[in-house]
Amino acid sequence: MRLTKSFKLSLNILLHSKLRSWLTIIGIIIGIAAVVSIMSISEGAQQQLESRLGTFGADIITITPGFSRAMGPGNFGGGRGGFEGESSSIDTKNLTSKDVLMLKNIPNVKYILGQISGREDLTYMTKTATLSITGIDTTVWKDITTEQLSSGRFLTSGDSYSVVLGGDVVSSTFEDGIPLNSKVTIGGKSFKVVGILEEGRGAYVPLDVARNVLEDASGDKFDSISVQLEDISLSNETITTITERLMLSHGIIDESKKDFTVSSPTSMQETIQQTMDTMTLFLGAIAAISLIVGAVGIANTMFTSVLEKTKEIGIMKAIGAQDKDIMTIFLLNSALIGLIGGVGGVLLGFFASTAISSFGGIQTAVGGGRGMMGGFGSSTYVSPELIIGALLFSVLVGMLAGAIPAYRASKLNPVDALRSE
Amino acid sequence: MKSKVIELKNVMKTYKMGKVQVHAINEVNLTIYKGEFVVITGTSGSGKSTMMHLVGCLDIPSQGSVFLEDKNIRSLSKSQIAKIRGRKIGFIFQQFNLIPILSALENVMLPIDFQNNGNNSDRAKELLELVGLKDRMHHKPTELSGGQSQRVAIARALANDPEIILADEPTGNLDSKTGEHIINLLHTLHKEQGKTLIIITHDINFIRRLKNTTKIVKLKDGKIIK
Repeated sequence: MRLTKSFKLSLNILLHSKLRSWLTIIGIIIGIAAVVSIMSISEGAQQQLESRLGTFGADIITITPGFSRAMGPGNFGGGRGGFEGESSSIDTKNLTSKDVLMLKNIPNVKYILGQISGREDLTYMTKTATLSITGIDTTVWKDITTEQLSSGRFLTSGDSYSVVLGGDVVSSTFEDGIPLNSKVTIGGKSFKVVGILEEGRGAYVPLDVARNVLEDASGDKFDSISVQLEDISLSNETITTITERLMLSHGIIDESKKDFTVSSPTSMQETIQQTMDTMTLFLGAIAAISLIVGAVGIANTMFTSVLEKTKEIGIMKAIGAQDKDIMTIFLLNSALIGLIGGVGGVLLGFFASTAISSFGGIQTAVGGGRGMMGGFGSSTYVSPELIIGALLFSVLVGMLAGAIPAYRASKLNPVDALRSE
Repeated sequence: MKSKVIELKNVMKTYKMGKVQVHAINEVNLTIYKGEFVVITGTSGSGKSTMMHLVGCLDIPSQGSVFLEDKNIRSLSKSQIAKIRGRKIGFIFQQFNLIPILSALENVMLPIDFQNNGNNSDRAKELLELVGLKDRMHHKPTELSGGQSQRVAIARALANDPEIILADEPTGNLDSKTGEHIINLLHTLHKEQGKTLIIITHDINFIRRLKNTTKIVKLKDGKIIK
């Protein structure tokens, strides 16, 4: 029998099949949808992570106080500004100007930027919002930063009560906007807006001024130190040197007891990548289980279907069907169940991931995008490879589940099959 | 000399029922020649059905040999038997045995599909016209009367232009008037197309009404008694 004829016949069988077959298809739809949405969310998060890490500059090493907490997901998780914003939550501020001096003459170090940050009220006209305020060294900031200016200028060494605002502050936090050169009040002091960045939810002021304005920011302590490298290929060696110098400066001998963290974009990416891979694997395993349940459903349906169609199989054999014809018809039937389930699953998975994506997007906008979920949800990506893969996989699942029932059907003895009612 | 189409030599078919062996067919010899009109009859339990399965190459004997056009079917593979059966023998059943999800036309096309005999819808339409069901060809079996269903089954049996038509109680599920029509149709096929016609029935009165029979085989307890 020709394949097209077998296909037509098995499609006919499927179209005339009972509710049971459609319930089975729903099982596969759910399984494939779960896999597709999880894959698309993880792929989207991957892309987002890569693009976001790209803006930090691959040649910048960041030193933060404390050992375990500095690498936590909160720093990187969601919205813009999270990187600087969260370090204020670390209690021990043990990075000092002495540390900055220790790093000055390390080869391969181009610029060193010490910064402090905290949250403070910013008032413009009658409206007040609490923002992340970062104090930066005005002499090197414009060289080391990867932020882009939207208007105005960066802070320079002559500035004192001047502020550069993040783009999102002007566009969304203060809905009516804050024009360049206008006056804003931060922590009771008046500042002049000299520049507006393309994005970001924080504000940048000179370091000395920040020490006056921010609570708990006096002395010569820093919340973080950023180091820009000359040659990125030597970053591992430089990280080692920086670690050694700072341990010396802090009087620490045992490396496991060090009270600071040196991280590069690469090392952060690896950490987040690992977390994400684990999460994808975990969710993927759950999705796989639902798919296996779906496959068992197909097998079950096919066994019942073969039983029901025993008589027809006998008739077909009597009028000249060979074993392989029967096998093909039933195998195609279960492959079709898989395929329809796959198409439905891809569609449902696509809509589900889009829904999760828009939900995650709102989260990011409202909550400032802290934590892992914001990062995971705010974009999903359904690639053509994923669609084709999911469809092929569902057909394969269908055929595997239908293989034994189809084989049994093909081996039925025509006489016995004809006798059955 | 007439050529043999089916030959049974010392055929036995034994079923095991529990510990007892039942000889459904016991030492049967039968030769059917091309163009014959054979009636196989017997009471219930005489081995008619087993005989039909053996003659139709649906089953393989426990002992002895069945030859289909000089080929011992024991020497053929299952798929070879299926192929030959599909080409040489057209089956007509008491229950009509049409595939319920297919239309009359598709049912008639099915045997041709299994043989890969190319474009088949013209042939199938011709056959449905022959049995007088041209206007019903897109109907499903459930939308056809018993007589119509059996006529579709006859068209299906003729699909691959087989030499042998094997009919198992073809009128068993039909009223006598419709049965008459079916028998006349089979007669016509035998006379006009020279098909070898084998009818299996238990109805003695029915046999009396059949004309032109060349051989009547009477079975009792698995043996031919006449």
